[in-house]
Amino acid sequence: MSPAVFHFLWEVNFGAVKEGDSVRTFGRLVSYQPEESKATLSIQHAARQHQVVVQTTFVEPFDPIIGAQYIVLGEIEKAEGGDGVMVHARVLNCVDGVNLALLQRGVNEQRSYFRERGESKGDAATAAQQRAPL
Amino acid sequence: MQPEATEPEEDSVWEEPPSMLWGLDPMFNAFNRLYVKDILHMRESCQVSGIYFYNSHPIFKVDVLGTVVYKREREDFFCYGVDDGTGVINSLCWKDEQWREQGDPATLWARAFGSSACEDFNPASELKKLRQAQHSSSHLEIGELLRVRGPVKTSRQQREIMASTYYKVSDPVMAVQISWMMEVPQLYRQCYDKPFHLDSSAQNIQGGSASYLLGRATRILKDFLKEKEVTRFRPYDVQDLLQPLVSRQPQKTASEQEPEAGPSSGPPTSFKQLRELLQKSLQILQDEGLVFRKVKCQDEVYHVTERDKDLLMAVRDILREDCRREKYAEKGCHILHILSSVRQRYSRNVSKAALVLVLKALECNSDIISTSDSHYTIL
Repeated sequence: MSPAVFHFLWEVNFGAVKEGDSVRTFGRLVSYQPEESKATLSIQHAARQHQVVVQTTFVEPFDPIIGAQYIVLGEIEKAEGGDGVMVHARVLNCVDGVNLALLQRGVNEQRSYFRERGESKGDAATAAQQRAPL
Repeated sequence: MQPEATEPEEDSVWEEPPSMLWGLDPMFNAFNRLYVKDILHMRESCQVSGIYFYNSHPIFKVDVLGTVVYKREREDFFCYGVDDGTGVINSLCWKDEQWREQGDPATLWARAFGSSACEDFNPASELKKLRQAQHSSSHLEIGELLRVRGPVKTSRQQREIMASTYYKVSDPVMAVQISWMMEVPQLYRQCYDKPFHLDSSAQNIQGGSASYLLGRATRILKDFLKEKEVTRFRPYDVQDLLQPLVSRQPQKTASEQEPEAGPSSGPPTSFKQLRELLQKSLQILQDEGLVFRKVKCQDEVYHVTERDKDLLMAVRDILREDCRREKYAEKGCHILHILSSVRQRYSRNVSKAALVLVLKALECNSDIISTSDSHYTIL
């Protein structure tokens, strides 16, 4: 099972995660269509709103609190209509009240550590190959 | 002893520090908050199984916080897949026997104390609440946050954490996860990524260094004999294997104030050291029964016990013949009887330790069977 690496919504939209890979991201719940099992998460960054669609079939029923912060863990899939990507959620948790700035700092702290170590998170597999084998 | 300060994962000839000195590393005794990715890729020790190395630190126990991404439940345990964002690892969490849903403790309490117990404190209901709390703390669903601490095991090619402690973490605003994300890189920078430095006093322990060297030498010889399936050899044949150990030895005596030499400190002394080391190692192998000298003469030939087909056949024949006799038919032959027969028939120099190995090998092959702790019979 591939680990769900933390990414920000804007990175997900820009294709930072490969199709089929697991990802963990977060945003505010702006809409939910139960009949289609689709939710939309949104986050503001660099004066822009970034949104991503979340397929909620695996996590239903859940209590949608519109406007609350949610964290989603799932796989990247091609969005219907072929434009962009969506996240097929395996986990969808409400984390309303989370300190977004601190969360972002936490993610960046972890990333800068891995960068110092000389590997990118996405490259964990190749980096591991170079290490002593199991 | 010899651990280099180089990055062990890159240097394929990095040597583990001797196990005797592992206790000097505080990480050995701590629950290390390694990333799952690192736990999965740590190298296992070749001295002790169940101990792993991260950046030259011996690791025994880990501490992981992550999301449950899969769950398997059996009667006695849970197997949770924990994802911390860098990797997914199995976590084997045993169920606590005493909190099983049986209802007996509660009813026992109720009977013992009755409803006339003190109004403020009802043991039965308190016990029930405790059981419920325990239940909710250990039964997790996918998506919930799990904290698990325990030793790492490799089972069926997979790394697993055998949880000594595990519980569901309530983290509604991600405070716990965020502080974990901030702390762990610091731990890495301050502890985990700093190599394990043995200070000079540990390295110069005379007794320690000598026995460590001897241990390494015997291991090298054992591995060689096994890999190359050697049946017989002379000391000269294996001498060169121990050369690297001798040439890398630090200056032994304090009185020799020689400037730091390179590989070897002069041919004569290092050759003597080599011979000495070889003699001692061969003696250990003989004492353990792994090798024996069939004939003690000028020509020092060592036979590898388990590969000496003649010896195996001789022992088998002894058992076959003797077990026909009424005296041994029922109970089999005692090991000392077999030993004296082997010494008469085959070689006076077969030790009890060597015979034990032979008997084990024959038993594994189903040629003989042990009828008691020290009796064997033919099959």
